[in-house]
Amino acid sequence: MIHIPRIGIGGPVGSGKSMLIERIVPMLAEKGYSVSIISNDVISKEDADRMRVNLATKRGLLPENLVIGLATGGCPHTAVREDPSMNLAVIEEMESKHSELDLIIIESGGDNIMTTFSPILADYFIYIIDVAGGDKYPRKGGLGIESCDLLVINKIDLANIVGADLGVMKRDAKKIRKEKPFEFINCKTDEGVLKVTEHIVHDVLFDSRPKSVISQKV
Amino acid sequence: MNKYLFHIQVPIYMNIEDIEQELGVMQLSDSFFPTGMFATSNGLEFLFTEKKIHCVKDIADIIKTNIIQQIGPSDCIALANAFDSANNNDYEEIINIDAIVFATKAIKEIRDASVRSGIQLVKCVSEFVSGDEVLNKYKESITKNKAHGVFPVAFAICCNGLKIKKEKCMMMMMYGFTVSIVGAALRLGLIQHFEAQKIIHMTKPIISQTIKENSKKSLSEMWQFAPQTDIIQMSHEKMDSKMFIT
Repeated sequence: MIHIPRIGIGGPVGSGKSMLIERIVPMLAEKGYSVSIISNDVISKEDADRMRVNLATKRGLLPENLVIGLATGGCPHTAVREDPSMNLAVIEEMESKHSELDLIIIESGGDNIMTTFSPILADYFIYIIDVAGGDKYPRKGGLGIESCDLLVINKIDLANIVGADLGVMKRDAKKIRKEKPFEFINCKTDEGVLKVTEHIVHDVLFDSRPKSVISQKV
Repeated sequence: MNKYLFHIQVPIYMNIEDIEQELGVMQLSDSFFPTGMFATSNGLEFLFTEKKIHCVKDIADIIKTNIIQQIGPSDCIALANAFDSANNNDYEEIINIDAIVFATKAIKEIRDASVRSGIQLVKCVSEFVSGDEVLNKYKESITKNKAHGVFPVAFAICCNGLKIKKEKCMMMMMYGFTVSIVGAALRLGLIQHFEAQKIIHMTKPIISQTIKENSKKSLSEMWQFAPQTDIIQMSHEKMDSKMFIT
């Protein structure tokens, strides 16, 4: 069975996980990459439904059946770390039916203290927080902030309103993450989102050409 | 000192093999074992949302109905027959049982959950049980789409691979089912943690009676009849907002 590269996007409720996905998928699609999304929604199908409508139904960037909502029994941390069985089952079904995919995005809610993705489930882990949690957030650390491959700090347009100092967040993120990258973004205006997309293309897809382009040449 | 004292032998109730077998029972029964069943409520979530369930007795009754009318006469008989077939290396019969169980699971959510959990169980156990011919063949059949990987059959084969006795295997499956419903009730806020354990304790006689009644039955004696449960589980499929897979 083929292995399709997978990224896990985790973060607290309301931090902008789904919005980030809605912004990066069009950028990846523009480069020719085919993407599928699994949303580990804690309670409702709302996020999965919204992504399906915005990315698949309205814009045709991916088939509707490739945006999947997965219930986690109220335990999103468990579903992506200790017992990723159901996510793996869905991914394996996807890999056997859709070998044309370049990337699978797995979204999961989770706090900064405990959220990590099982390495069997995700090849790359993006953790997203937002400035509304206060500029202390990066220095508080936790598994999510410290262990992710890319830390994303969203809603920078709100920094002044909520009294968060982006300079402090930058300093602390640099200190706590050592050499590992972080990006400031604003999903409303796409500011910084292209950089996140470039990280994915470079670090996860290794700058390879999309499968659709390769198959056309063959 | 009594001269006979030196001849007194401490009775050994469990040899090394027994202990290893019991550890296998604990490993597969533990909610820490990754099969994804922590995300199943078997329709309980729908009843909770509709405010049709209120107390410990209601939850215990649901579990009782499920075991007596569904799991006992269907999944348990299938499991027992799959276990015997695995023991006898009758691989053709295992594939047959796998197909029958798949066909009897009319509710899509329940069928998908059974298959997904079963496949992941086989894959996980294959990582640490090597050289079990039936387990390896079943895994290969799943990969080649020649077997569905339904949970009762997968569980029987994995237990057989770990040298766990058939009756214990049946007991473990029903215990796992009970814990998944009780766990869902706990997380939904229907009950408290002491009440959860009380329900599990109340279910023990039902589980033991079900094992007694079904462990020796043939495949042709399989049945299930719980139309209200079927409707509840189908209604769960249609829910817009839910925490649980089933």
